[in-house]
Amino acid sequence: MKLPLNWLKDYVDIGDITPQELADKLLSIGFEVEEIIAPRADITGVVVGKVESIVHHDNSDKLWICQINIGAQTVQIVTGAQNVKQGDYVPVATVGATLPDGKTLAAAKLRGVDSYGMLCSGSELCVDDDVIDGASVDGILILPKDSVAGENIMRTLGIDDTVLDVSITANRPDCQAIVNLAREIAILLGKKFKSPKLTYKTIAACEIPAVEIADKTLCSRYIGRIIKNVKIEKSPKWMRDRLRLCGIRPINNLVDITNYVLLEYGQPLHAFDRKYIDGRITVRKGAVGERITALDGKEYSADGILVIADDKKPLAIAGVMGGEYTSIFPDTETVFLEAARFERSNIRRTSRKIGLRSDSSSRFEKGVDWQSVELGSERALALVDALGCGQICENHSSDGVPAPVEKIIKTTKDEICALLGIDIERKTIISILKKQGFTVKTEGKTLICTVPLVREDVDGYPDLAEDIMRFYGYDNIVSTHSENTHQTRGGMNTHDINSDALKTRLTSLGIDEILNYSFVSPEQADKLLVPDGDALRREIPIINPLNRDVSVMRTQTVGGMLSSIAGNCARKNVVMRFFELGKVFIADELPLKALPQERDVLSIGICNDGDFYTIKAIVGEVIKLFGVAAEFAPSTASYLHPKLSLSVESKLICGQFGKVHPLVCESFALPSNVFVAQLDVTEALAEARDIAKYTPISKLQPVDRDLAVVVERGAPVGTMLAAVKSVSEFIYDVKLFDVYEGEQIPQGHKSVAFSMRLQPVDNTFADAEIKRIMDAVLKKLETEFGAKLR
Amino acid sequence: MNLEELKLDELRADALDKLRRADSEKALSELKTLLFGKAGTLTALMRTLKDIPPEQKPQAGKLINDVRVELIELCNAQEKVLHKKAIDAALNAESADLTIDKPIRAVGAIHPLNQIRKRLTDYFVGNGYIVYDSPEVETDYYNFQALNIPPDHPARDMQDTFFINDGILLRTQTSGGQVRLMEQYKPPLKMICPGRVFRNDDDSTHSPVFHQMEGLVVDKNVTLCDLKGTLEGFAKFIFGDDTVIRFRPSYFPFTEPSVEVDVSCFNCHGSGCRVCKNTGWVEILGAGMVNRKVLENCGIDPDEYHGFAFGMGLDRITMIQCGINDIKQLWENDVRFLRMFR
Repeated sequence: MKLPLNWLKDYVDIGDITPQELADKLLSIGFEVEEIIAPRADITGVVVGKVESIVHHDNSDKLWICQINIGAQTVQIVTGAQNVKQGDYVPVATVGATLPDGKTLAAAKLRGVDSYGMLCSGSELCVDDDVIDGASVDGILILPKDSVAGENIMRTLGIDDTVLDVSITANRPDCQAIVNLAREIAILLGKKFKSPKLTYKTIAACEIPAVEIADKTLCSRYIGRIIKNVKIEKSPKWMRDRLRLCGIRPINNLVDITNYVLLEYGQPLHAFDRKYIDGRITVRKGAVGERITALDGKEYSADGILVIADDKKPLAIAGVMGGEYTSIFPDTETVFLEAARFERSNIRRTSRKIGLRSDSSSRFEKGVDWQSVELGSERALALVDALGCGQICENHSSDGVPAPVEKIIKTTKDEICALLGIDIERKTIISILKKQGFTVKTEGKTLICTVPLVREDVDGYPDLAEDIMRFYGYDNIVSTHSENTHQTRGGMNTHDINSDALKTRLTSLGIDEILNYSFVSPEQADKLLVPDGDALRREIPIINPLNRDVSVMRTQTVGGMLSSIAGNCARKNVVMRFFELGKVFIADELPLKALPQERDVLSIGICNDGDFYTIKAIVGEVIKLFGVAAEFAPSTASYLHPKLSLSVESKLICGQFGKVHPLVCESFALPSNVFVAQLDVTEALAEARDIAKYTPISKLQPVDRDLAVVVERGAPVGTMLAAVKSVSEFIYDVKLFDVYEGEQIPQGHKSVAFSMRLQPVDNTFADAEIKRIMDAVLKKLETEFGAKLR
Repeated sequence: MNLEELKLDELRADALDKLRRADSEKALSELKTLLFGKAGTLTALMRTLKDIPPEQKPQAGKLINDVRVELIELCNAQEKVLHKKAIDAALNAESADLTIDKPIRAVGAIHPLNQIRKRLTDYFVGNGYIVYDSPEVETDYYNFQALNIPPDHPARDMQDTFFINDGILLRTQTSGGQVRLMEQYKPPLKMICPGRVFRNDDDSTHSPVFHQMEGLVVDKNVTLCDLKGTLEGFAKFIFGDDTVIRFRPSYFPFTEPSVEVDVSCFNCHGSGCRVCKNTGWVEILGAGMVNRKVLENCGIDPDEYHGFAFGMGLDRITMIQCGINDIKQLWENDVRFLRMFR
């Protein structure tokens, strides 16, 4: 909220505290000053001058020699302006002055006559008619007759004020009003708060539309007043200056008063032209088919939203915006002034439903209290009277609920101090609360605190504790170390322990961890060639995504992996190994009826850093970590090369890996040499892992034997070696060392050479035993794979 | 044959002479064969012992053996010398260009954000906190309502929410973990809940996906001073022992009183710099005493128990700790970036 310091000074004497000091102090009571908006710093040394005399320059037709009273002295200035007369007040840039264009004024001689300064136009000061009348004329800016010679021009123009942009937390809607913030500052600085004038003259009662509220939960108070014989004109300069400093464009005196009160009291008001109100005022929900054109010129459906209506038509969207015919026109004679309190969540819903926000609606959304309706109305009338904009009828028309009962909180000093952990004297507690408008009665140890209506946020002793601490000072909170609480065991959960172990294993294989967003483009499934109707296409859509590229929740992480690799390749970094361990979101049905499954998926990608057997080995390491037996089968993953890919199934882990499909490489702009794996590790991460068990190591010497066999070219070597191992419990290890096709091998065949380590268990092997094992191996290979000893 | 005829002295002198001249391991090996091999001189000499008159035998035997032992020892000593010489020569003959660096398979890097998350997690686990996981796609109830943020509450404006439908959304804060934990377990409770959160916000300082770490302690006798002590300990762990923290009042619907927590600027130590925007303080987290309504919503008696809660942005702490000035870098997955954190 914008807080111009001169406005604040109307209600609190802030002394000579600097804006920065005030900002620091406000921070200590919970109001962060986001910005200190300093007055314009681009004008210095410009003052108001009164033209004492003006005569023609002897040597020039166009130049004039002026004697200008600038307060303490009179200076001679030669000007070329033609719109200046004796007795005018004008802005004078004195010698040494700086102007917005960066120019610094120096004494000069014009055609032989000394000139000690320059008269300024509005444009030279960068001000226009919005700031002051006459600023836009072609010539010198002629200031009002009541200007004071010698006064700093910034003051005269009303551009010398410092504004604090204060952030108001959502619990303090009352402080969205300058008077209430001023009250807080008065307490903070130990100064007296001076209330704005709320009195005004009235004329006799007049005819006024009756007011009726249909649903008092949506509008708890409505006060209407009549102002007759209004004179619609510009509001005074001080008011326009203040509105402008707060970012509101001045319009006319009546509208400006309503905006002024909105800022000052936080009470939105609406001024209706009386002649367009037919009969009574009703606050009701719009009927089916009812429509209203608002002041913004757009038509809105009033169906089901709260409106202010007369007997024939809706006049305004309650709390949001007036209708087109109900604003103030130059010929307006009688004004019906509305002050009301609309329920905040209803305003919020309405505003969102019809897509229309205004200063008024955003204020109502934050919450307007019951009292400020009347205060706002009174203040507006006091201003109408003070500015002479019209005559106020003494009667009013209103409806609403009776004044709410003030909340009472019963607590004790001990209860408050037990929450805070420090001891504060009871009398200090009482005094701080009283300063903030609470009434505090005591009954034995009990403090009976009555909460002022304006403080709707306060409803328990912790709120009081906070309000006490704000002024007692949070620096008084000391650090203690939970001496009076229980010892707890704490610890990582299985999921995190396993994730860490998994990440350690992957990084030890030279793989870097990456992160990608949890939402993706719906087109990603196309790029990954996911078939229509596949479950992976059941992506949960976000209603209000940032944009289409991040509009559905990911069902797999491989897309992000490929994009990340492609991004690096585009930057000419073409060698990498990545993994991402992240969540995917699996919906059992769409639209979503219950929370989706969140599954942990590990994706691994290697680019120009290994081949199929590398990714297979990495997957093997992952599986080994979780100590499960895995089955490999041909893969069905759409994004993988059909021949260079496998799926893996095990109790805890399942997934796919292999070379990326060439069409997918094209879509993602990837090089051809990319291999990926995508494994669902949800169950693996959830299962507590034991440290591995020891098995005794044999002291007997192992025996190594090599074999080379010839089989048909298509024989699966991995399966053959597994078969070899299964032949005897004594075969401890089988290692492939050569696969060869060519000379000395029959056409369509290959030679497979491998070594075996035979490990005796109880006694060293006899030669016969070794022969028996070797024969069994050869027999197995021959019967199952048609292999012959080479 | 008698003792003199054995010519032991000559034989010894001859052997010593040959030994002196054996200048390689090969020559020495040949000499050993010549002396001690099957057809060796000394072997032959031992065989002649049978022709020696019986009265001279003991003496002859001893003399022959003395010579043999002496020669063996000398040979062995010389063998060591020559072996060392041979090795030295071989080493000397080697040459390698040691200025070259050859690549090895380096270990990969955990993403810096997760390195920070791990550090923070370890700190709190060491202080008796459990780590609790809570869903990322969450109900309106856990993300808002149970945390004292009813529908259409203005506090919802503090967080631009991604919605899936009326009742389901992407969590905007990890605070929902508080509620889920308190529904599941009874006090005393100490937990942290780190994880991804989502807000409809994307500009130079915000990412629509970021990470928070929620902390919650519920027990009898927990105070605001305990909260300060806890966070001060944490701040010292992360930013150094000379770090101090300050509380200033703020507002969160689920805590009362609520505070923003600033740490003294670790960069300039209070004198004012770019990191702290010349204030000497850096805002790192929000905290407060758990609102009574939240405890009630979770079935915990607020008259018996107090709690404190805190929430911090892991992305921000990572950026501060690693000196990363562009939040987008955390999501770029640029290998050059990732490898800085190996």
